[in-house]
Amino acid sequence: MKPHEWFVEHRVDYAAGILEADDAAAFEAHLAGCEACRQEIARIEADLAWLPMGAPPVPPRPGLRRRIVEHVLDGRRRVPAWAAPAALAASLLLALGVGWMAQGQRASLRRELAVERARVAALEDTLSVMRQAGRVLYADLEMGGARGALVIFADEKTHRWSVVVHGLPPAPGGERYQFWFITEDGMVRGAQVPASEDRPMMFTTGMPERGGSVMGAALTVEPAGADDGPPRGKQLAHLML
Amino acid sequence: MARDEQALVELVDLATPWLLGITQAMLQDRDEAEEVVMETFRTVWQNVTPVGAGPTGLMPYLLRVARHRAIDRLRSRRRRARMLAAAAGEWTGASAAPVEPDEAGRPGWQVHTRVHAALDALPPDQRAAVDLAYFGGLTQSEIAARLGIPLGTVKTRLRLAFARLRTSLAGLKDWVV
Repeated sequence: MKPHEWFVEHRVDYAAGILEADDAAAFEAHLAGCEACRQEIARIEADLAWLPMGAPPVPPRPGLRRRIVEHVLDGRRRVPAWAAPAALAASLLLALGVGWMAQGQRASLRRELAVERARVAALEDTLSVMRQAGRVLYADLEMGGARGALVIFADEKTHRWSVVVHGLPPAPGGERYQFWFITEDGMVRGAQVPASEDRPMMFTTGMPERGGSVMGAALTVEPAGADDGPPRGKQLAHLML
Repeated sequence: MARDEQALVELVDLATPWLLGITQAMLQDRDEAEEVVMETFRTVWQNVTPVGAGPTGLMPYLLRVARHRAIDRLRSRRRRARMLAAAAGEWTGASAAPVEPDEAGRPGWQVHTRVHAALDALPPDQRAAVDLAYFGGLTQSEIAARLGIPLGTVKTRLRLAFARLRTSLAGLKDWVV
């Protein structure tokens, strides 16, 4: 039997899902009778809610959307016999999603509006940086015979950059493109840059928290798995403010 | 197509790349990641109530369900004593490049960059522990074995890292409303 202090000490571990299976099971048993731990776990989960989005998005393969929708709707048709099917189906439909918390068409319209607002907000944010940029930096890129460019719109008021990379082929197998800040204290890792010759890659970034003043930026192609330390790969572009 | 079915399609379009991102990073298996994502949508569709998504919104709920299901799969693998063999030397890290291009216009991209910035701000040893534990799905003892460091050191690094991440990420808002 573990003391309560053990559970207090391991709340974050449990919320992050990194406990060993036995400890996780003990924690779950403890939660059934401990309101304080339940509340704190809820707070931790809320704080870390977006952490999974640290993993880069993976575009779905063709046909996956259709398979998901069919899988979901097929499950809906198999609602338990104990429920009144029509009422349950209606309630499930109405309940799905924060954007659908109201009723019927109004809820669905709110959700559609929310999706569009999110898209517009992301684009407006990027455009606002470009519009307010006090400096625009440009460098040619060449990779595997393909030619492209790195463009940085630097908004010095908000200390944010919109970065555009175009014309680069997808990184060779086992490698990836890495954006760097050149700071007083050396190179500080920025975003990774997925690339396609078909369309430009854009992202908006703030300045790094460490490294001192930012003096410039660079783009390299790094070996996959080299997630820390200085650049090891070939430098494709180098820009100084 | 019914309006709610259309809404489901839009939600799938919006959330699937991010759900695949975390599940594929953890499972290192595209087919299995797709299965987890399908199960996640079905679970949410069947179980979410107006308050079921919790105070943080729908997208964190989807992410949490997907990640927990991926953890379940990893535990199942461990029971078959295959986990370490599958992970050894193959896992490419939380920040592995996406398979296809992306852009700032994708809903959620700003959240991704904010989370990445928070991860990048961690000291390298803490970042490595978080990558292996949170995005790689390894247990603390597996991380200790893999990095060749004491279990207590792993626990300390993770505790410090998650404390920093809580502070860094607490202000993020749900972009799916």
